[in-house]
Amino acid sequence: MSDTSPRLRLIIPLLLAVPILVVPLLGDRYLINVLEITLVFAIYASAWNLFAYAGQASLGHATFLGVGAYASVLLSRSTALPPLVSILVGGFVSVVAGLLVGLACVRLRGWFLGIVTFGFSVLAEVIVSEPLSWLTHGRYGVWAPRLIPPEVPGYFVYEYYIVVSTATLALLVMHKIMKSSFGIALAAIREDEVAASAIGVPTTRYKLAALLISSFFSGVAGGLLAHVVWGGYVSPEVFGVHYSFNPVIYCVSGGLGTVEGPVVGAFLVTAVWEGLRFIGTYERLILVGAILILTVIFLPEGIFPTLRDHIYVKMKSPSS
Amino acid sequence: MNPSALASVLFWGLYVGCVYVSLAVGLNVIFGVMRVVNFAHGEVMVLGAYVTFWAWRLLGLNPYVAIPLSMLVVAALGVAIQRLCFRPISGSGKLNEIFISLGLATLLQNAMCRLWTDSPRRVVSPYEAQAVPLGAFNLRLDYIIGIGLTALTLSALHIFLKKTYVGLGLRATSQNREAAVLVGIDVERMEALSFGLGCSLAALSGSLLSLSPFSPYSGSIPAIKAFAVVILGGPGSVPGAVIAGLAMGMAEALGTYVLGGSWRDAVVFLLLTALLMVRPWGLRGEVEG
Repeated sequence: MSDTSPRLRLIIPLLLAVPILVVPLLGDRYLINVLEITLVFAIYASAWNLFAYAGQASLGHATFLGVGAYASVLLSRSTALPPLVSILVGGFVSVVAGLLVGLACVRLRGWFLGIVTFGFSVLAEVIVSEPLSWLTHGRYGVWAPRLIPPEVPGYFVYEYYIVVSTATLALLVMHKIMKSSFGIALAAIREDEVAASAIGVPTTRYKLAALLISSFFSGVAGGLLAHVVWGGYVSPEVFGVHYSFNPVIYCVSGGLGTVEGPVVGAFLVTAVWEGLRFIGTYERLILVGAILILTVIFLPEGIFPTLRDHIYVKMKSPSS
Repeated sequence: MNPSALASVLFWGLYVGCVYVSLAVGLNVIFGVMRVVNFAHGEVMVLGAYVTFWAWRLLGLNPYVAIPLSMLVVAALGVAIQRLCFRPISGSGKLNEIFISLGLATLLQNAMCRLWTDSPRRVVSPYEAQAVPLGAFNLRLDYIIGIGLTALTLSALHIFLKKTYVGLGLRATSQNREAAVLVGIDVERMEALSFGLGCSLAALSGSLLSLSPFSPYSGSIPAIKAFAVVILGGPGSVPGAVIAGLAMGMAEALGTYVLGGSWRDAVVFLLLTALLMVRPWGLRGEVEG
């Protein structure tokens, strides 16, 4: 995984950086919005990937996305806190949710972890839409300030660059974490939990820590989703199955357990999604399901690692 | 709470429990043989509901006569799914199986939306208004038939597993795959069979659910509850699933009655989570990934 040359590692970020930085100059609101969605989901998918790096597949990450979104929206509504700060606070509130979920299921593995985490997202949806409806307006959802007030000229360009820099920062931090000794320990847990604990990795504590970091970035992604992509709005739909399964699809198609995979997956699936707007939503979702199945069967490593290995072999032997 | 209302709530809970029991037993049959938990089980169940619905609507069949047909059709589809999707990745790890079944869930759900729209549909039972008086309260005939059908199917499954040669092969594969191969059992065929069998049981619960409005989205919540039943009753254990499923149906009915309808789904997960915090290995035996 790490035998790629540093030069090659830069190809993907550079390829992505140019359009990402240039596009807003075109002033196309639709294109900006699509890129914002993609970047927010790239953060979210990478956060999911970090937990999956330890071999833990959560099927209810929408819990953290939604808790972060709601916390930030409610905070910025009721206090004078600017969304830029409340999004960060939302990330920390999401960590608290992560702690609750983690304590309940950190000893579970595989299928059972997936089922219980999914259960939590259902629970969160019910709690937000019913008992807390005095605060959240139930299924109607809540309005909140945009990240940058629309009175500011060109506010959406500012918002866009804030999303770009947050995504860059978040991805860099997660990259560092995955390459640190902590990250290596997580990979060890994934490969063989018993062996990892035998060589002194505190497996339960590390898995919990991975979940907490993951829930922080998911919460931040949720805040960006509410304040930017949805224009200052959030509804209980954010806890839906759709948002729990999305990061799975991005990571698996892009390349599970790699830094670049979730980003590549997010761009690829969004490109397919937006590019095929002329066919119906159902047809596109059928296609997304098929992509997931086909990558698992035919490209079990994911698209990015397969491509990378291919290019790497070519670069090593230019004569061929 | 008056006793008559309580009794009818519990009776409804028993009926709902039967839906979970056949779903969960289906999951368990698949889990026992293939060590796979199919996350698309709920969508398979809805497919069963649609087959029953169309057999009733287009062919004019009595919905209860349509159930065996639905079970057969869905079983055939289950075998096809197993061959096309699960066999190619057999032995490549738990996560891949999770991902495949998530893909299947998305694919099936939207294929059903595309084919039959997402507007809710419902089978109108010919016995809808009928009730059987029992002492002080009336029992809905549909619920009695549903409970009876579930009991009958599970008894048939029990006899099939315990008394027939193929059933012996299934149990052998589930107990020890390598040993089963050694004594000449075609384990790949057993896996396809178990998947078909599990899917047909899902079709049974789907058919029971089709008496109330359903749409392609109706599968995920019952399926998740069936997963909870599997964890509670012990993965792979059929009697465990029966007891846990009925208990869950009752708890849900009571929770709905006491706390209100919106808590219906949450009650189950609160119970499950509380239990897993105390006993992370489930009620019986080890919860293994």
